[in-house]
Amino acid sequence: MNNFSISVKPANDIVVIMPKGYVNDLGAERLEQACEQFLDKGIKKVVINFSDMQFINSIGASIFTGIVQKTLEYNGQLCFTNMRKVHRDVFEMLGITKHVKVFKDERNALSFLKGLG
Amino acid sequence: MKEKWNLKRLIFNISSLVDLGQEVTSSKGFNDKMKTTLYVVTGMFSVPKAALFLYNSNSHNLELLTHKGLREIDGTSLYVRAKHIKIFKKNEPYNISEIKDNSFCEHNGGAFKKLQTKTFIPLFAKDEFVGAITLGKRLARGSYLPSEKDVLKVIANQMAITLHNSNLFKKLTNKVTENKKLYENMRHIYHDTIQAFAAAIDAKDVYTKNHSYRVARYAVAIAREIGWEGRDIEGIYVAGLLHDIGKIIIDRGVINKGEELNTMEISEIKRHPQISYDILSKIKFPWKDVVYFVKHHHERVDGKGYPDSLAETELSDGVKILALADAFDAMTTDRPYRGKLSLFDALREVKKCLGTQFDEKISKVFFRVLQKEIKGEIKEAQILPHLDKDFDPAIITTLLEAITAELTA
Ligand SMILES: [Fe+2]
Repeated sequence: MNNFSISVKPANDIVVIMPKGYVNDLGAERLEQACEQFLDKGIKKVVINFSDMQFINSIGASIFTGIVQKTLEYNGQLCFTNMRKVHRDVFEMLGITKHVKVFKDERNALSFLKGLG
Repeated sequence: MKEKWNLKRLIFNISSLVDLGQEVTSSKGFNDKMKTTLYVVTGMFSVPKAALFLYNSNSHNLELLTHKGLREIDGTSLYVRAKHIKIFKKNEPYNISEIKDNSFCEHNGGAFKKLQTKTFIPLFAKDEFVGAITLGKRLARGSYLPSEKDVLKVIANQMAITLHNSNLFKKLTNKVTENKKLYENMRHIYHDTIQAFAAAIDAKDVYTKNHSYRVARYAVAIAREIGWEGRDIEGIYVAGLLHDIGKIIIDRGVINKGEELNTMEISEIKRHPQISYDILSKIKFPWKDVVYFVKHHHERVDGKGYPDSLAETELSDGVKILALADAFDAMTTDRPYRGKLSLFDALREVKKCLGTQFDEKISKVFFRVLQKEIKGEIKEAQILPHLDKDFDPAIITTLLEAITAELTA
């Protein structure tokens, strides 16, 4: 994966992460590390926006498996938005979506998370 | 356990294994390489926590090499002795509660707890114990399905070979082994995996057990005889194994139906080469023509085949080889709609269909290689071992000679 961008949203306890490109090699570990750093700092509402993410393979799936696990351990709430069918299929197959709230877009995810208080 | 074959899962698994093959042959450093392969496993089976160990035969310990998702485990090692190594099945995933050896469990209980281990896989490269993988709890389902265990074994085998070839391993074992090229070993992973998938395809069709495997062998026999080598041989072999993969999404009832099929059912079955192509073209195979061989294995030289009604000159040798191998195996095995033909009748049938269904040049090669196999002139027979043994070699040889003479005249 080339890179990703992160923005911390107004509610302050929410972080939105946008992975870009291909999540298919060890470079994508940075995504998992970033999530963990936020969780560790107490920002436990994590939104991952998939609109700029391309293809995902098993290595990428491993990264997301790790993110889900860490969010569970920190008692956080993970939301996925703007997923394409290819992403959803893979995540469903792997049992990842079971632990995640999936929203059409970022706005819906944010209003859900703000509602959590 | 009965398993539903999920197409997406299948594609994901094959692609992951192809990725794995590319990783182990990449120019990455050893540690990154091993880490990546561990990520492939954890991603395929949604296991958040896993670790990979290397066996140090001097200390008799498994030493931590890399891990995923664990904290504060640096320096963790596992205790393993010769008697344990002896009882481990090679590259077999064990639920740790299944390991009955007390000394192994007692010594490693603490480490397993720290690693949150649920599954332990001892890694063997051939007969040599080289390391182990520990896997934690899965995010999705708990236990592994039989087919998942098969895939795990293939991966474990690959990781074992990669470990074995590493300099680090050699240093630890004070051994100078011949540095076999990883590139060659990569072939095993493709072949083992693809073979496992081929078995799954054939399992769908009660009448064609091992059909794909035999087709692959027959195709290899013909291809070798016309002078193909190396990578091309591998390609046709893989094409043989996977040519009917499209059948996995066609209704089992239609495939196994004994009576005559109606028009709808026929067109349903005829979709399979296209579906096979659609599936396989999503996978980055290291062999370039496999997808086309597969797509056109029901084409005929007279242009009356499907799906594209290609004729003679539009068909490559690979397609013609695969089409013949496939049809010949169909003739010589029982089918839902008819019993098998004897070898004698099948060969006459091939002869009869020259220029319509089958290519003459390729068929001649097939007759020739079969003749050579019967005469024992081929070191590793590919066709003979799979045929019923009830034919008279003298009669078949006479027939083949007669056909060859007629075709040459
Ligand atoms: Fe077929």
